Amino acid sequence: MARRLRGREALTGYVFVLPAVALFAIMGLYTVGYGLALSFAQWNGFTPTWTWVGLGNYLDLIYRDPTIAPIVHGAALRTLVVMIAVPLLTVLVGFPLAVALNHITWLRSAYRTVFFLPQVTAGIALFYAWTYALQPDGSLNFILRHLGLGTIAQPQGWLGNPATALPTLIVVMVFSAVPVAMLLYLSGLQTLDAAVIDAARVDGAGGLRTMASIIWPLLLPITGAVTMLNLRNALQDFQTFLLMTNGGPGGHTLVLGLESYNLAFFSGFKPTLGLSSALGWILFLIALVLAFVNLRVLRSRA
Amino acid sequence: MKARVLVYAMLTAYALISLYPFLLMVSGALKDSKEILLDGHLIPSNPTLATLAHTWNELHFFTYFGNSLIVTGFTTVGVLLVYSLAGYAFAVLRFPGRRLLYGMFVALLFVPGVTMLLPVVILQQKLGLIGTFPGIILPFVNGTAPLSIMLLTNSFRAVPAELKESARCDGAGELRTFWSIYLPVGRPALITIALLTAVPTWNEYVLTRVSLNDASRYTLPLALQNLNSSTAPQENVLMAASLIIVIPVIILFVLLQRYFVNGLQGAVKG
Repeated sequence: MARRLRGREALTGYVFVLPAVALFAIMGLYTVGYGLALSFAQWNGFTPTWTWVGLGNYLDLIYRDPTIAPIVHGAALRTLVVMIAVPLLTVLVGFPLAVALNHITWLRSAYRTVFFLPQVTAGIALFYAWTYALQPDGSLNFILRHLGLGTIAQPQGWLGNPATALPTLIVVMVFSAVPVAMLLYLSGLQTLDAAVIDAARVDGAGGLRTMASIIWPLLLPITGAVTMLNLRNALQDFQTFLLMTNGGPGGHTLVLGLESYNLAFFSGFKPTLGLSSALGWILFLIALVLAFVNLRVLRSRA
Repeated sequence: MKARVLVYAMLTAYALISLYPFLLMVSGALKDSKEILLDGHLIPSNPTLATLAHTWNELHFFTYFGNSLIVTGFTTVGVLLVYSLAGYAFAVLRFPGRRLLYGMFVALLFVPGVTMLLPVVILQQKLGLIGTFPGIILPFVNGTAPLSIMLLTNSFRAVPAELKESARCDGAGELRTFWSIYLPVGRPALITIALLTAVPTWNEYVLTRVSLNDASRYTLPLALQNLNSSTAPQENVLMAASLIIVIPVIILFVLLQRYFVNGLQGAVKG
């Protein structure tokens, strides 16, 4: 009797997960498997057959192909810069904002709503607004000139100058990452034991001292989560780059994700689809390693 | 007291940065085709509503609004239906292989979007779904699987077992228990997932761009982009169009923001 009941429960379980699993099998497993297989082949998307090249695509990307490898190296370096700068700046901006928000009651939810607006706004509309602000006769240059900072205004626009294009994109990415970071810190601050903070106060610790030696260490797990989230986004993001600069000027904002996208969708009938897949898999592997390291670090701390 | 002033100054400064893109949209939309070419000052010298009116007509807002509504609506309903069933199974039912299946869905979290993009488009072609709504709705639904399943499984696990037992005693079957006990209790999680699905789907750009080839099926972000590429309009038109497409989402957000905020916190924590 018990066994029959358990059998029925198992059957119900399978029936309930069936839609999700079926969709996953087609949209997830099939596509991931297809991408993996394609990464070992050469294909232009039009010929009926693939040419198998084994690990050739990976080797070409990493060092062998004299045209593609240098591009990948440059893109990897830029991706690395983005992966360092974005999480760091996001924490540096998000943490103080959360502390400030937690400090006030009057207008708190109004500020939070305003901070969060960019998060729910269509990326493409935001990007048009930024592009408009950053052009040569755009609003940012105008504001700088009126603040007497005309010397740092960019005559060729912030995205047109190779020296400022990547830093500008990093700032835009940080801008979209800050709301979520701030929200996480805010929820962390609200769950902190108020007694701990009061005790520090009574012991004569000032605001900054309490912050540095009590609150910040207690919120380290949240910093870990924010860092991980942004590392992943920085590694994988290509929409920002596609929309704002499309890798320009002169390839100075080309990152790995965008290069993979270009190889897949702007191959110009050249057999680069396998290369694109291989690059996508390299990104996937880096993401897995990051996740693994993150898990180990979190575990060793706990 | 001094600290308080400093705190408000800091918050206001960042609030201004947050509002800056929207100020640009409003300012640009109020400029005419001559003034937009001048320096990037924020306050238009002779504000006009002509740009907004002209852009409104060019954009065919309601056509694309309808498309966005179809795509977002079906995606959201699909996500709620498919993953609440799965979440119930993972949280409540015992069956061999459920840990493995659960882990499989979570692993999907680490696959970069760009890695899936090309295979998804090729699959759409093979299934004859390229350029159709189902062709983008299916991958959208699947794309939310990790987050939705994790959130729903967690929230269903929190339901007290006594509730289920008493339903059993009343002779309720599995589907009945799911429908009349678990779904109502899990409502906050369901609302959260609906929002976390609907907003990104509404705003999605890359997959729709590479797979929708027929302009009559464009969603609003594509309509905005189309406006830019087809008639090479000026910045004032682009700002007006951006403003038009972001307003509905902003209204929705302001109305439902507490679900958003709680949901996002829960989502990233869980």
